[in-house]
Amino acid sequence: MTRRARIPNLGGARAFVLHRPHQTTTALARQLAAIGLDAVECWPELPADALAADFVFFDADMGYDAQFPWRPGEAPMPLIALIGSEAPGRIEWALAQGADSHLVKPVGNSGIYTALLIARQGFEARRSLAGEVRALKARVAERQTVVRAVVALAGSGVGEERAYQQLRALAMSWQLTVEEAARKVLELEEKGGRDERPARG
Amino acid sequence: MAKRHVEIGILFSRSGNYHLLSEACRAGAMLAIATVNADKDAAVEFEPVERDPEGQIDRYAPLCEEITRGGARHVVGCVTSWSRKEVIPVLEKTGATLWYPCPYEGFEANEHVVYMHASPNQHLVPLFAHVLPRYGRNACLVGSNYIWGWETNRVARDLVQDAGGQVLAERYLPLGDTDVSRLVAEIRAVRPSFVLNHLIGPSSYAFLAALGELAKQDPAFSPERCPVLSCNLTEIELPAIGPASEGLVAVGPWFLGAGEPWPWKALEALEAPEAPEAAGSVAVPAQPSSFFVAAFSSVLVLADLLGAKERGAEEGGTTEGPRPGTAPLAFAGRSFSTPFGEIAIDPQTQHASLPVRIGRVSGGRFAIVEASQGRVDPDPYLSRYDPAKVFGRPALRAVS
Repeated sequence: MTRRARIPNLGGARAFVLHRPHQTTTALARQLAAIGLDAVECWPELPADALAADFVFFDADMGYDAQFPWRPGEAPMPLIALIGSEAPGRIEWALAQGADSHLVKPVGNSGIYTALLIARQGFEARRSLAGEVRALKARVAERQTVVRAVVALAGSGVGEERAYQQLRALAMSWQLTVEEAARKVLELEEKGGRDERPARG
Repeated sequence: MAKRHVEIGILFSRSGNYHLLSEACRAGAMLAIATVNADKDAAVEFEPVERDPEGQIDRYAPLCEEITRGGARHVVGCVTSWSRKEVIPVLEKTGATLWYPCPYEGFEANEHVVYMHASPNQHLVPLFAHVLPRYGRNACLVGSNYIWGWETNRVARDLVQDAGGQVLAERYLPLGDTDVSRLVAEIRAVRPSFVLNHLIGPSSYAFLAALGELAKQDPAFSPERCPVLSCNLTEIELPAIGPASEGLVAVGPWFLGAGEPWPWKALEALEAPEAPEAAGSVAVPAQPSSFFVAAFSSVLVLADLLGAKERGAEEGGTTEGPRPGTAPLAFAGRSFSTPFGEIAIDPQTQHASLPVRIGRVSGGRFAIVEASQGRVDPDPYLSRYDPAKVFGRPALRAVS
């Protein structure tokens, strides 16, 4: 990633700690407060306002899907697993939740700041990739629309290469993506026929 | 009542390339121990258990373990961040506490460490808030290849950017390297508004001498127009720097002659060294410094805490020392009289609330150019840092 290094600003961030009251949660809360976060401890369920949290720590030992107000892997914030038992099933479950980083219990003074920064970076990378995939999928889904728009524009005998250039020029002047412009061309085509075809931008 | 006998660890290197700083810390701790022991009203009597790692990083952890094995639960020690990080596992294992008397780069808050000197919101941030509006916003950052320089300069880059300036050059030298010609040539070429110097020891002295020569040739690099800044320069190093120290700007919680009058008899001896009996057999430095004062204050605060516990015990409490992970040090709601003035220790981060002073070297000593009103609370993770507050309005009051 080319993101510039910054003072990691965690001041005022909210973290929910989903773990039964325990020495681990005490140590974690102490360190989170020292770093400048507001920590909220909860068990056995995440309250609804956890949806607005900046971080969620969860117990990988005793945790289960129904604790979270979202589907596994779809947490809207970075997740950090608190791992005690290294049983493969438990690790698998924590991974299925989409843990971005983890801490091994017992939790002490060190490792928490690192876990926060790794989780946040991983989460952001994942989210931006997901956004990119979504945009690409949308474009792929519009392939047929683009083809139909080019065919429509080429109808006047300008040839498909010129028609495609024309579509791109239209998209630019309308400030739309090529796919959106293609849909608009088709709409205009259906509405008014050839005569009302938009003038070339 | 009989004084309680308490062992206290002293872990400073008396040789190696930062021995000037660690000797100052050691002297501060030893003098404070002598002060507490001479005080009839003190509840404790300290017995120092001293180990000298001789500047060798791998000796810190085993020597710290040796100290704690003897029963000491408190250690005043360490100068470099590297050595502090080396002893932390030992402290966690044994439940002991390190009193760390040096400025450092922040981003740490271990419950086994009490941080008695400044972290970035008490050194770099106020230093830049003072300097950038006055001298300009374009920086050259230099440092030794070491965590202190890397991390402090990293924060400096963000601050410069937040203030709307540019980092024109950032260079590091290997520890101990004195070949500074390239650094100076680069500074000459890019013409910054100021230079932030995080070089250590001999590298720093060579650099400042060379920059002094440059200023003689070209007044654009005079301290009035392009000051050299430091977050850890104190009286200790002025003699080593010599005439090139003139005009250097440093930030710290304390500078000689700029603070309140000394409330401690033993410290009066510093200003009148011909009265050695006040200081007992402890060698005191020619000039005290914030390092010295931080180590001195560490011992005083500890004596105060242990005394409070003794009094609590008389009223039916317990005299048991803290066991690993059980009883945290009772800093909450308390303040302590030290040569820094009244200070508090933030129970959450165990960093000291300290005054902030900015000094400019003039005639071989620091003249204060700005001072905080009261003490500045610690923020080791810079989680309350707000560029608009730092660069938008003056946070400090000008005193001259």
